[in-house]
Amino acid sequence: MHWLLELLVRYRVYVSLCLTFFTSVWMITSSPELQAKTVRVLTLSLFYPFQITSDQILLIRDIFSENRRLKSKLVQLSTGVAQFREQAAENDRLRAMIGFAQESTYELIPVRVLARDPSLNFKSIVVTAGRNRDVLPFMPVVSERGVAGKVVQVMPHLSLVQLLTDPLNRISVMVQRSRVMSILETENGKEFFAHFRTYEDAVVDDTLVTSGLGGIFPKGFLVGRIAKIVDERDPLFKRAFITLFAEPSRQEELFIVKLSPQWAAFKQEADSLLETK
Amino acid sequence: MIGSILRWAALFLACFVLQTTVVPVVSVFGIKPDLLMVLLFFLALRTGQMGAVWVGFFLGLAQDLYTPSTLGQNALAKTVAGFFAGFFNERVMRTDLVFQLVLLVIMFVIHDALFYFVQVTKGGHEGGIVLQELVRATLPRTLYSIVFALVPCLKERFFPTSPYRR
Repeated sequence: MHWLLELLVRYRVYVSLCLTFFTSVWMITSSPELQAKTVRVLTLSLFYPFQITSDQILLIRDIFSENRRLKSKLVQLSTGVAQFREQAAENDRLRAMIGFAQESTYELIPVRVLARDPSLNFKSIVVTAGRNRDVLPFMPVVSERGVAGKVVQVMPHLSLVQLLTDPLNRISVMVQRSRVMSILETENGKEFFAHFRTYEDAVVDDTLVTSGLGGIFPKGFLVGRIAKIVDERDPLFKRAFITLFAEPSRQEELFIVKLSPQWAAFKQEADSLLETK
Repeated sequence: MIGSILRWAALFLACFVLQTTVVPVVSVFGIKPDLLMVLLFFLALRTGQMGAVWVGFFLGLAQDLYTPSTLGQNALAKTVAGFFAGFFNERVMRTDLVFQLVLLVIMFVIHDALFYFVQVTKGGHEGGIVLQELVRATLPRTLYSIVFALVPCLKERFFPTSPYRR
């Protein structure tokens, strides 16, 4: 017996090889049922701790992939929610516009803003109606909140609108309460103001509307509210800073008021008078 | 002794984690490196045939548990591959980097040849498939694994930790 043990120890490498080799061959050649049984026994006994560990590792790998999947799903859903919110906001705007269009006595052409002037302060926009909708130059452009600008160029299917933010665009306004008139101006497209004589009745929170004297905007369109009044260097005047009702740079849907410029008719009349003289 | 066993066990565990998590990410055209084989190779070089045979056997058996239809095939292939690599134990002979890489290639070929041979024999397929698979699957896998084997090889060359290499 001793010699056998000595032999095993001396040739332990080959004994190990033979043991593992024949065990492997036995497993390979055994029937599928026996193989399944062997796997089950080994999984539940010898390899159980390793199996648990490997299962946990695979679970962690699955967690990573699931995390990636959930993140992409989250992005999808967030995008969807943002779209729904956008649509809801658009819905609200369109409802307000429908209400405004129904209340208005003028014929209105609803338009969408297609492009904006890329400058820092939006001075002009392109809207989706042109000669195809009988738009003419100098037609007023308004939103349901108030005046936005006027059409300055008409193309076959588009029109260029000069916004109130353009320093060159000045409109005649009046205080709705006291009917005191002035001109709405801006120097930088951000701050809007109107000059009043010191004694004129214009106070903070007064509403300004179009006076109808400019020849482009009809009388009574909402323009803005007096936010602040400061004294000018010239003691005869005071400057009223105006907050516009329709922030021109934030408009997405607008109306073109289908109204020919009133001064065009006057000009024709004046020209005809000159010709008769 | 126990410290060495624990260190190797930790290394095999780390390799197993990498093999199941990182390796699928770095696979190129479906070719994955076999980190466990690479580690078995280094184990064989460091500790000799005895350790390599038993570790190879249990490592293969653990792999076989995931696919009961191939039960014993990985165990057999890794046992023989470990036994082969164990011939070049550092205590017995000193090998340079290129020779080690050639040994690794041969180890992969022995492993896969045995695996496919058993597969073909069991399934009653043509023997030529073994050669085809060795060229189509084993060669790219071996070359990709060599990239990972180079890391410890180069580390050992420039910062030797083995007492037989100092």
